[in-house]
Amino acid sequence: MSMESKLENAEDLRSEDPLAGRLAHGNPRAPGELVERHYAELYRYARALLRDAPAAEDAVQDAFERAFVSLGKYSLERIEILSLRPWLYRITLNVVRNGWRDGRREVPVADLPERIDGHFGTAAGSVEVRLDALEALDRLYERQRVAVTLRYIADLPYAGISRATAGLRTPARPLYIGASNGLARCCRTNRKEKEVVR
Amino acid sequence: MTNEESPRLSEVRSEERVAGLLREAASRLRPKEDPRQLVERTLTRGTDRIFSCDSPLGEVYVGVSEKGVRLVGRATSSGEFSRRYRDRFDRLLSWGTDEKARTLAERVAAALTGQRVEVPADLSGTTPFQERVLRVVKGIPRGQVRPYAWVAREAGSPKASRAVGAVMANNPVPLVIPCHRVIKNDGATGSYAFGAREKVGLLEAEGVPVEELAGSPYLGTPTTGIFCHATCANARRIKSENRRHFRSAKAAVSAGFMPCEVCRPVVAG
Repeated sequence: MSMESKLENAEDLRSEDPLAGRLAHGNPRAPGELVERHYAELYRYARALLRDAPAAEDAVQDAFERAFVSLGKYSLERIEILSLRPWLYRITLNVVRNGWRDGRREVPVADLPERIDGHFGTAAGSVEVRLDALEALDRLYERQRVAVTLRYIADLPYAGISRATAGLRTPARPLYIGASNGLARCCRTNRKEKEVVR
Repeated sequence: MTNEESPRLSEVRSEERVAGLLREAASRLRPKEDPRQLVERTLTRGTDRIFSCDSPLGEVYVGVSEKGVRLVGRATSSGEFSRRYRDRFDRLLSWGTDEKARTLAERVAAALTGQRVEVPADLSGTTPFQERVLRVVKGIPRGQVRPYAWVAREAGSPKASRAVGAVMANNPVPLVIPCHRVIKNDGATGSYAFGAREKVGLLEAEGVPVEELAGSPYLGTPTTGIFCHATCANARRIKSENRRHFRSAKAAVSAGFMPCEVCRPVVAG
């Protein structure tokens, strides 16, 4: 890699997020803005991965707590170049994975419609199809599930997925492509299984 | 090209459909709690809180943890104060907008204006010695002063007068822990983090006779044969005709006086 391209990459890493600057310079409003801006999307992400509302809330709270602890320890320069969004996704993922490891993810799929009822409109058919998609997520390998969730639910670009999944060790694009194919397959399988049951 | 879709194209469409379904399903996943409450709860858990209040030294910023007040100081902006706080305690500060922070802010404001209000101080970032010293200083009543040697002895390290001076210079919570009430052993007010003049002003505002103290920080009465720190409540009751001024506790003892059992002047050393 040439020196020039190294510099370009370093420049790419520099966050253009003014919120990162405000956090770095100690603006006491900035932590609140960070929570307001990202809480809902991190909740959706955690909820899609954990499939349990209280566990997702706990995970997001834990993630923000960890983020704030880290921001308290980072230097001003380090905070300034942070890409906050993928960084928060990565922390949330770590918390979620800890949750999986602790066995907190034991949520029966049958509970799902009850847990999210009231949010799904009135057409029973479309509810079922949407649930198919969420259930299909469960059939994916963990890293695929993470990649698909980051791409479809968080709308992160590949670079963001790479940053948010730094521990998964698979390049984001092939991981995502494999995962999305797998998801479509799982959806089809899911539907067929339900038809057989009927 | 046939009328039938190629398997590849159908797969792509299927993916798009799944993506759409997932997005739609996810968009309906919302936390049940009120967003403002969520933000507040998250900030309370993850950050320490900051507020500003009036004090005899002008407007000061106050940083508080869950346990109590952790840093008090003047700054050009809340951001500057927050950076100082982060450098010292590795914690972020956010505006204290919750009920607990508001209540504490009122208490701190009242305490800084001289009202008898208990304000919890979080001394978790200090060494055991520093903590002992700061707790001793916290107990010095308004309107009274004590010398460094007295604080050192009360903190259990009678020979550590200089170290007490260093602790006072780095007191994270001035005014809440009234380090301005600690003076030199000869009665001079000495230095202060906010300036020597400010220290004199604070003491005078609390009713300490600063000029009278300089050179004669001890006061005795022949009627009881007891001597005290000149600002001790007992010393203030001595009638003017019975007042005997002393430069040091040693001088008072040499003149045949006994130390007061309430303010306990340091005689040895």
